[in-house]
Amino acid sequence: MLGRLLQVVASRWFRLVLVTLLVLSLQTTLFSEIRPFGYSVQLIAIYVAVAGAVHDARVGAIVGLVSGLMYDAVLATPLGISGLVLGAVGSGAALLLQPFRDPTWWLRILAVSVAAALGEVLLPLAKAVVGLGGWLTARVAVVALVTFVGGLVFCTPLIPVTRWTLRERVSIGRR
Amino acid sequence: MAQGKTNLTRAVLLLALASVFLITLDLGDSNSTSRVRRLFDTVFAPVENVSRVVTRPLSDAWNSFRAYDDVVAENNRLKEQVALQEGAAVAAAASVRLSQELLALNGLPTLAGINSVTAQVIGETPSNFSQTVEINQGSNSGIKVGMPVLNAAGLIGKVTEVFADRALVMLLSDPDYALSVKVVTKSSRTPVTLPPLPTEDAPTVDSVLDSSQTSTTSSTTTTTTTILGFTPTVTTIPAEIISGGGSNITVPIASQLSVRETGILEGRGPGSQPIVRFLDATTRAEAIEVGAPIVSAGGSRSLAPPDIVIGVVSRVVERLGTAGPVLEVELVADLSNLSFLRVLLYQPITETGR
Repeated sequence: MLGRLLQVVASRWFRLVLVTLLVLSLQTTLFSEIRPFGYSVQLIAIYVAVAGAVHDARVGAIVGLVSGLMYDAVLATPLGISGLVLGAVGSGAALLLQPFRDPTWWLRILAVSVAAALGEVLLPLAKAVVGLGGWLTARVAVVALVTFVGGLVFCTPLIPVTRWTLRERVSIGRR
Repeated sequence: MAQGKTNLTRAVLLLALASVFLITLDLGDSNSTSRVRRLFDTVFAPVENVSRVVTRPLSDAWNSFRAYDDVVAENNRLKEQVALQEGAAVAAAASVRLSQELLALNGLPTLAGINSVTAQVIGETPSNFSQTVEINQGSNSGIKVGMPVLNAAGLIGKVTEVFADRALVMLLSDPDYALSVKVVTKSSRTPVTLPPLPTEDAPTVDSVLDSSQTSTTSSTTTTTTTILGFTPTVTTIPAEIISGGGSNITVPIASQLSVRETGILEGRGPGSQPIVRFLDATTRAEAIEVGAPIVSAGGSRSLAPPDIVIGVVSRVVERLGTAGPVLEVELVADLSNLSFLRVLLYQPITETGR
């Protein structure tokens, strides 16, 4: 029993939840106050995109779905919307890099920024789909632009963080 | 390796399905999602508090770098404004008091009878697609979902999520916010001006109340009314007003009183003014003046008690056909600069049980 518990605590998925809590706390404190041009940089989306870009589409999707569910629990949005959107961001960042055999550092940063920015376009779309319209306005473009620039800035420091978080080789379900 | 990938794919599918399931639950106002949020808050709140303390110097540095000049300019402007407002505030306070006494006298609900909790804004929304603020009071202070929230100027929104020691407030500007409101407009009819008459010939005139309910005679006036709960009193009008001193008397007639058009106020996101729609189709745009005050309508199913100040009409947009006009509203509360708020401990019927 104890051995099983220790195995769970030592797994990368448990580490993922802890690190995501920290990233989320930065998002709800520092990054909700520091608003370039009045828009909040979505660190959580950048973090998810980095996870997808550094690993693969599946890992990116899982990181996105878990982070999104946690983000929804903090926001007043319906539980699950950000989960689906960030899941798409994580796998999207990996898919953007798939055509490249050995992507360069700047290509990785670009893919992360583009995926995170696309996530900011997807979110109001997803809200509109479930009947929470009113957010699909021209400001979505500016929000996406701010997140894109945020991605260029914060991608590099987040790469070692996600590498450390998800470095374990043991996958889900392996005993 | 292949087994690991299959497991990951299964996990992705499971999480995606869980997300869809949770969305449907949450949109159906399920209590279980609220419990999930509260449970997560128990874990997350300590981490967030530590993070807030650690990052405070950084955010303060950013704010001082970005807003110092604006703060100085605003401070000067506010000092001037305070000086101007001091006199008006005394008169306004007297009017409010008089109004509340009249409402209480007639057995009508007033804000004075509703308890409130003062709270401080501790955080803005981290998302770019929701208009909420976080306050430092929660269910431990009696706050519940749906309660209206005000600042010193007027209504700012409603409570949407409640945790033990904090709550989320959805602002009026959020597109998901809607509230029934009244637009106070003036009648287009001209006032009746009576010529000066000798005291002995003083007529019975229509007064503020309906003519069938009230009569006013000579310098000593007896008011009778059929309004439930209102006790009529004898009013003595100063003799010089109607003693025939040569000045005309302008008497307001019932139809000249403020007309209250009702409609629904809807937020339109940050940077856009909320609008009032669903006004009576017979309402003509000319009947509504720019600058007309907008207050909450109240009623048993309303999200807020009646007569909370919301804003003024900033633009009237007339629409073709039978659709009534749409009004753009300039809010009296500055939603971009909120600090101390007042949560009215008034839970609408539509929100009970949440």
